[in-house]
Amino acid sequence: MPSAFQFQCHFVLIFLAASKGETRYLEVRDVGEDEPFLLLSEDLKRELSAGQIYRRSLRCIDMLSIEGQFTFTADQPQLHCATFFIGEPEELITINYNFVNIDCQGGDILKVFDGWILKGEKFPSSLDHPLPTSQRYVDFCESGNIQRSIRSSQNVAMIFFRIHQPGNGFTVTVKKNANLFPCNVISQTPSGRFTMVIPHQHRNCSFSIIYPVVIKISDLILGHLNGLFLKKPSAGCAGMGDFVELLGGTGLDPSKMFPLADLCHSFHGSAQMKIGCDNTVLRMVSSGKYINRVTFEYHQLDLQETENRKENSIEEFCFPSI
Amino acid sequence: MKIPLLVSTGILLVALLPCQECRALSKSPAAAHGALRQPDFFQQQQQQQQQQQTLPVLLRMGEEYFLRLGNLNKRPVGSFSASSSSTSHLQPEASASNFFGAAVQQLQQLPERSLGSPEEGETEGEAVEREKRSEEPPISLDLTFHLLREVLEMARAEQLAQQAHSNRKLMEIIGK
Repeated sequence: MPSAFQFQCHFVLIFLAASKGETRYLEVRDVGEDEPFLLLSEDLKRELSAGQIYRRSLRCIDMLSIEGQFTFTADQPQLHCATFFIGEPEELITINYNFVNIDCQGGDILKVFDGWILKGEKFPSSLDHPLPTSQRYVDFCESGNIQRSIRSSQNVAMIFFRIHQPGNGFTVTVKKNANLFPCNVISQTPSGRFTMVIPHQHRNCSFSIIYPVVIKISDLILGHLNGLFLKKPSAGCAGMGDFVELLGGTGLDPSKMFPLADLCHSFHGSAQMKIGCDNTVLRMVSSGKYINRVTFEYHQLDLQETENRKENSIEEFCFPSI
Repeated sequence: MKIPLLVSTGILLVALLPCQECRALSKSPAAAHGALRQPDFFQQQQQQQQQQQTLPVLLRMGEEYFLRLGNLNKRPVGSFSASSSSTSHLQPEASASNFFGAAVQQLQQLPERSLGSPEEGETEGEAVEREKRSEEPPISLDLTFHLLREVLEMARAEQLAQQAHSNRKLMEIIGK
């Protein structure tokens, strides 16, 4: 065998043997175009994650929509304070107490509520939440040493606190977890798009938008529409186990809001409604026998639409704010 | 025979081994220290953004809200009205914290409402204190939807600013 040919053969063999191990580096390079984190070394990943813990101090009345560590320290007696937490529709809120320095015996309060409660009205309503109202409050003064990590049942939660002694306070860490089938949601934005799915669950789910909106339902699938109608569509949805209703009102509790429309038959297309109320809720009632799904879009009613509304207005019920 | 083999092996090793100069991910200590200082700057930026964003809150007049902790069945003793006369002395540059702080201060000047009877329970034993605490009605907050939307929009702006900061930091790392 000529030496040049042998050299070429060896070269090819060595190259093939080396490519089994070393080209993984090249593969990582290719993947890194889509996932840049794979290019990072372990030290840099650690530094990036360590430096990304967001921290700030809390105000007496505050709202948080990001993860991080938040501290409240009273510079004077603060007797009526609350922090609202809100996430994306498909997120759950987890609150961990890192440090608490309050005087429970002196009348200080630190309570987490599973949901939002405003003027006595709760979201989700008592009808839509799995826990009774009393269990939705987690009082640190009663269970501080037992439950230092609290997870919400939906994308909203809040903390009430009252601190008498200046210098006292607390630190909490807020994290978010994924929720595969969001049920009760408060929208962060006055416009958006959402698909609510209730898969074989006997539960009621509400999507709340605390703005006057135009809501357009583009797709509704209710499982019982597979045969002949025994009732005329004009008979309404009374007696149906699965339906969607649109509610409007000035409070937070969907059970105290006014029904504006109900849909109990599947359709593909768009049904639009302008609702000039402070709070608009799309609520799906599900019997658990079917997989029900509704897709809708919404955007905020502008001032002109609010003032000149003629159709679908519920002037006698809603008093929309500007 | 052996020499070409060794040469080809050496060439392959040199060609395929990752070299130090090729790493785009090394970071100088000075750059790392600068990255650590960014959160403070970011928070200052955020405060400035919050100050700019709070101007609409202070300019809106005629809002009324009150905070009530305790018995929801009892009507509040009084309510706080952020009228133009009361807020006119506030500087337009005041931050949202000053706005809410002033509002809460006004609220705290109101006579403190009874929460059932916690004051009576303070002199009693710890078990009685807990019993009275559990008998208290659900705590709620009385806030208008308008103020709720204001804090919601502030939270949303904070989230967007934080996302922008994270993206900027990531691009700085990737770009090196």
